[in-house]
Amino acid sequence: MAEKRPPRATGPGDETFWQGCANGELLIQKCGVCGHRPWPVVQTCEQCGSDALAFEAVSGMGKLASWCTFARPYYGELMPVPYDTIIVELDEGPWFISNPNGFANADAQLGMPVKVAFIDCEDGQGPFRLPVFEKA
Amino acid sequence: MADTGMLAMPPSLRENSRKVSIVGVGETDYAKDYAAERQRLEGWEPPTIDDLCKLAFERAVADAGIDPASIDALAMHYTFGGPDADEMARHLGISPEKAWVNGHIFAGPLPNIAGRIMAGEAKTVAMLFGIGNRSSGRQFGGNTYSSGMAGPSSYYYYHPWGWSSQAAHWAMMATRYFAKFGKREEDLGHVPMTVRNHAAMNDNAIMRTPFTIDEYMASRYIVQPLHLYDICLVNDGAVCLIVTTADRARDTAKMPVDVAGWSESYIKQDKMKVMIDQRLRPQIQQAGNEALAMAGLSLDEIGHFEGYDVASIHLVNQLEGFGFTPNGTGIDFCIDGQMTLGGRIPTNIAGGNMSANYMQGWGQVPEIVRQLRGEAGPRQIGGLNASLSAMTQTDCVHPVVYTRGE
Repeated sequence: MAEKRPPRATGPGDETFWQGCANGELLIQKCGVCGHRPWPVVQTCEQCGSDALAFEAVSGMGKLASWCTFARPYYGELMPVPYDTIIVELDEGPWFISNPNGFANADAQLGMPVKVAFIDCEDGQGPFRLPVFEKA
Repeated sequence: MADTGMLAMPPSLRENSRKVSIVGVGETDYAKDYAAERQRLEGWEPPTIDDLCKLAFERAVADAGIDPASIDALAMHYTFGGPDADEMARHLGISPEKAWVNGHIFAGPLPNIAGRIMAGEAKTVAMLFGIGNRSSGRQFGGNTYSSGMAGPSSYYYYHPWGWSSQAAHWAMMATRYFAKFGKREEDLGHVPMTVRNHAAMNDNAIMRTPFTIDEYMASRYIVQPLHLYDICLVNDGAVCLIVTTADRARDTAKMPVDVAGWSESYIKQDKMKVMIDQRLRPQIQQAGNEALAMAGLSLDEIGHFEGYDVASIHLVNQLEGFGFTPNGTGIDFCIDGQMTLGGRIPTNIAGGNMSANYMQGWGQVPEIVRQLRGEAGPRQIGGLNASLSAMTQTDCVHPVVYTRGE
């Protein structure tokens, strides 16, 4: 059963990202000029200003860079508190905000290896797959 | 007549230093208004931005001891909107030649107005900031707060993971800081505890009751590892600064406070990494060095700091970033008494954003003016000649250096 979640971003480029998730791939932009990998989705490279950006699948591997647990119900019943969020330093460079899957922040260690997984979710636009991270 | 154009910050050059002075400051009754909002007795109505601004303005004019007719420009600053500048001028009972809307949060607006004064656009400016975000029930996270400020790097992007609040930025920083430098929540608690002790010396601070580390640890989390006491207040109020040329300032009632240096620095890429891993250290160092060089001062000559304590850990970031204490030692610096009276750098000495008021950086200035004039009563820092303020957000920093205008 799909988890109900707050709404996805839907700007230009986001559709490609979410389509990748549906296919089990984490797609991150890469600049064709300087090689920088921005995240979240941008329209021009934040490093060199080029618009020669193409989505590429990354390995989905990374290390735990930080974490925090929400105690205040900013989303009401949609995200019952407490719930855990993490930030992962992807092996390819970008820092990616997500949720832990199969572990809790209480077990988190700085630098702990993690890998991406995709869980079935649903927002106001319908079903989608959300990238989360589990212990590698 | 109203002009909504905001100028770029004038360059941080020695020749721009001490050309403009603050001659009057006014604030509203933060503590009284906060208490009334909480009680909500029958018949209570939230104060309007118009009336908050008028009170701060009248107090600033009285503090400066000037004829309000000598104010030839009004500069309005709102984060979430307010009357246009011409309408506000009428409400204040003045007829300035110029009326501007000039941005919102501190500290950018002060260098901008200094630039306008240096360019001869105005002689004496009333700078007003007003906000009513508590009465309006604004919260800084979740789906309810999505204005035109949303962009690709803002926290609204992370809704589906439930990562959405200002507090979560600081929480991520704190977790990583603890892991890297071997600190714990009960260590960080000394920072808000110290700022609260400062607020106890300020009659207009909203939260004045000291707390212990045990009480801190027992307080609820907002975003773990940060507790209620680690996060700034949300309140209504207004701040007014009367700013004029340094020459004219010498003829006013009280000792002027000179605007001696400023700068700004922004994170340009990889915001999450720079913010959470580096804690804006490169930006704080760069802007701090530029502001000090403009003022012709070394850090050793700064005797007072008003930092942007939107969260406790971010005050640590600023104390370390400006160089008051080495990287990773800010919490120990606080525990050692170095950020209070008698220590190396009395910091947020009126109670800051965590305990006194949350005026989005503007609340730093009246305290700096009081301290440099020697009017700060029980919390007065002895022998003070220069103060530093810093508005430090998730992606940029704006330091300003102030000196006694003798």
